[in-house]
Amino acid sequence: MFGFKYDTENKWHRLGRLLLIMAASLLTFVYVWWILAIIINTPAIPTPDLVWAAMIKLFNEGDIQTGLSMWDHMAASLKRFLGGFALAFGVAVPLGLLIGYSRFLDEFSRPVLEFLKPIAPIAWAPVFIFATTLTIGPILVVFVGIFFPLLYNTIFGVKKIEPSLTDAAKTLGAKERQVFYKVMLPCTTPYIMNGMRIGFGIGWMCIVAAEMIAPLGGGLGYFISLQSTLSNWPYVFVGLGVISVLGILTTGLVDYAYRLMAKRMGIE
Amino acid sequence: MSYIELNNIRKVFKKDDKETVAIDDISLHIEKEELVSILGPSGCGKTTVLRMIAGLVEPTSGEVFVDGTKVVAPGSDRGMVFQDFALFPWRSVRKNIEFGLEVNGVPKEERTARVDKYLEIVGLEKFADARVHELSGGMKQRVGIARALVNHPKVVLMDEPFGALDAQTRNIMQAGLIKILDKTDQTIVFVTHSVDEAVFLSDRIVILTKRPARIKDVIEIPWPRPRDRASPEFTALRKRILTELEQENVMDQGAPADKPPKLTGGLLNRIRHRDRPDSETGDK
Ligand SMILES: Nc1ncnc2c1ncn2[C@@H]1O[C@H](COP(=O)(O)OP(=O)(O)O)[C@@H](O)[C@H]1O
Ligand SMILES: [Mg+2]
Repeated sequence: MFGFKYDTENKWHRLGRLLLIMAASLLTFVYVWWILAIIINTPAIPTPDLVWAAMIKLFNEGDIQTGLSMWDHMAASLKRFLGGFALAFGVAVPLGLLIGYSRFLDEFSRPVLEFLKPIAPIAWAPVFIFATTLTIGPILVVFVGIFFPLLYNTIFGVKKIEPSLTDAAKTLGAKERQVFYKVMLPCTTPYIMNGMRIGFGIGWMCIVAAEMIAPLGGGLGYFISLQSTLSNWPYVFVGLGVISVLGILTTGLVDYAYRLMAKRMGIE
Repeated sequence: MSYIELNNIRKVFKKDDKETVAIDDISLHIEKEELVSILGPSGCGKTTVLRMIAGLVEPTSGEVFVDGTKVVAPGSDRGMVFQDFALFPWRSVRKNIEFGLEVNGVPKEERTARVDKYLEIVGLEKFADARVHELSGGMKQRVGIARALVNHPKVVLMDEPFGALDAQTRNIMQAGLIKILDKTDQTIVFVTHSVDEAVFLSDRIVILTKRPARIKDVIEIPWPRPRDRASPEFTALRKRILTELEQENVMDQGAPADKPPKLTGGLLNRIRHRDRPDSETGDK
């Protein structure tokens, strides 16, 4: 056709193919959505054109109820998300290193951790919000969501350290502290990153859910729950789309960092 | 007093109420600039002997001295080379070799100079910035050797350093080690289960019995290096040592009444096959 021949060896051909398939996939999605919206015919499922118009308006002007633009809501959610993450990182990583290192601490903390782990992070939301404030509560929910995958991966990473690596360090003159910082920590880093990768996905779901319960100061979850009570369904859909894109970006970022480091260390 | 002394070493491992006597009673004196090989069947306690000199394992009784000082903990005066290389995958070749100097607080300038020197000695100048996973097995172990030597240790403990390499690389590495010895006069304790390797490299070979390990025989080899594997005396000595080791294997076949081996026939055979000291194909 038109004398064009697809060449698997050609980088640009491969990229073009990928983009075409992606575009086709998204177009199919929009098409199916449109048809379904017409068939089902409820205001709760608006057609794509309405959602598109709502999106332009929300990013440019914002909604009248909160007076915030979509950018502001995004920033509010991201800020809480990062706060929860920073808190989880600061607690889970050192704790995981210690628990992995000390058999006593492992045995001591295991029953408590196993007891707390099955509780869905969002189930804590009412408690956290009441015990702290509407702003800090959701951050704590994210903290719980990220904490467990990060902690368990860190512990696992410490246990997976090759004894010959720590032995090598000792015979090269490393003191206990140096063995910890120069061998155990870098050995565990890929596992910590993997914990972050999983934690980011969970944490992002937590923040939206928590914001639905904590109606203050904007945020995507708050925006969605407010607009749905007002039956502004196109607005709700814009909120859903933004959650997805931000989720892809945040987890994608860790994923990218993880791959970069794994490649440097020769891990598959 | 000898440079390295193991005096009446005994090691019993206790694990879940089960006691394994790994080393019965070993006394061994090693002189400065000597290369002593420890030969013996797998599982007899060779690694344990080495790790006790390194200070990574404490003897149940007996004492280890290196240059007049009692060994109580690991230290950079006793370098170790591992069968599985034990390189740090997050560090470049240069950074791996530099590790010991770094933790011992050697100034940056001297560090660079010393690493450069040992990169050259092991022939890896071109790979200074390579990542460990990009190297072949032989190159990895050259990094391992350079990493141990750069600290200027009193002794380098090598635990089957070429055991994971193919026959050809192994011979190249042995020749390479001899060249390094010409330049550094390094004292080396070398564990192997290859008779050929031991005869090719050693000033002295210590043959251990099967577990619990005792010293079965000590053989001095006064010949200069490099040695000719095809020479009659090389072959004869190889044969003699093989016979001695065969005895160790034949003896546990007879299952002496005091310690019957609790192994099934298949497993026993497999282990024995692995133990056969001439099972390596390195000799041509
Ligand atoms: N940390 C340990 N705990 C219990 N048993 C051990 C330990 N290290 C070695 N052993 C046992 O001691 C014996 C000698 O081991 P090793 O020194 O590794 O032998 P070799 O290096 O000659 O193959 C083996 O039976 C081994 O199972
Ligand atoms: Mg061994």
